[in-house]
Amino acid sequence: MANTETALKEATTVIDGALGAALVDYSSGMALGTIGGGKDLDLTVAAAGNTDVVRAKVRTMEMLGLKEEIEDILITLGTQYHLIRLLKSRGSNGLFLYLALDKQRANLAMARHQLRKIEAELDV
Amino acid sequence: MTAAEAEVLGELRRLRARIPQVTGALAASTDGLVLARDTADADAAEGVAALTAAALGVALRLTDATGQGGFRELLVRGEHGYVATYAAGGSAVLTLLAEPRINVGRLHLEARRSSARIGELVDGALHRRTPQSEPRPAPAPSTTAASLPTRQAIPPLPSHKPKEA
Repeated sequence: MANTETALKEATTVIDGALGAALVDYSSGMALGTIGGGKDLDLTVAAAGNTDVVRAKVRTMEMLGLKEEIEDILITLGTQYHLIRLLKSRGSNGLFLYLALDKQRANLAMARHQLRKIEAELDV
Repeated sequence: MTAAEAEVLGELRRLRARIPQVTGALAASTDGLVLARDTADADAAEGVAALTAAALGVALRLTDATGQGGFRELLVRGEHGYVATYAAGGSAVLTLLAEPRINVGRLHLEARRSSARIGELVDGALHRRTPQSEPRPAPAPSTTAASLPTRQAIPPLPSHKPKEA
């Protein structure tokens, strides 16, 4: 079991092309932890903004009557991938992992797989 | 301060438009008077402005006593929502009411930006006004703000400069 800090560190070291990562509480829009980022990628802004993304999707699914759970959300930009993975384990409801990747260096399938593993081991 | 007042009101309206879960916004002086408001109820706004000044007095002493420097913001969460107060320049604050479901991260981002802008407007208006008269004397101790070292209590943000008319 890994804590927030270790999990985020693992996400940015193990996953190729990682630019930054955050663990975000989407009931408040605040980050529980961040790693990486910088002036080109303000992770506080990303946490708040992507909270709206997650909430919108959750609401949309309710309206569509889909009784499913979101596993992850992928956003593809010109030069980056943004990956949002909702946490499932007991006691970590309402949290998501956010990972920004460099499109050139990242392997998307591998990144998703590794993020799933990190999520499974994360204990908040 | 009428011109600035309209601009402050514009800023409050833009803020509310950007975050729909904000249910009320007001700019108040640190001594508890409403400068501009975008709320449903005018009387309630006056009450909130006065209470903000009282809370601000405690918050200032708290940050001071614990060595945390100048006052920046105050967030209160109730069962049915939030009350958030942000320093706006040296003599005003921005107080917002918000629904319990609000994205607090985003509230902070937007409100910090708005309070900086409102601070510039209010401080700019005060600077324009003071040259004719004597620089404002320290405010008479009032019941709510008795313990406030008012003017210096909220240090100006680094970017703050008095606007030339």
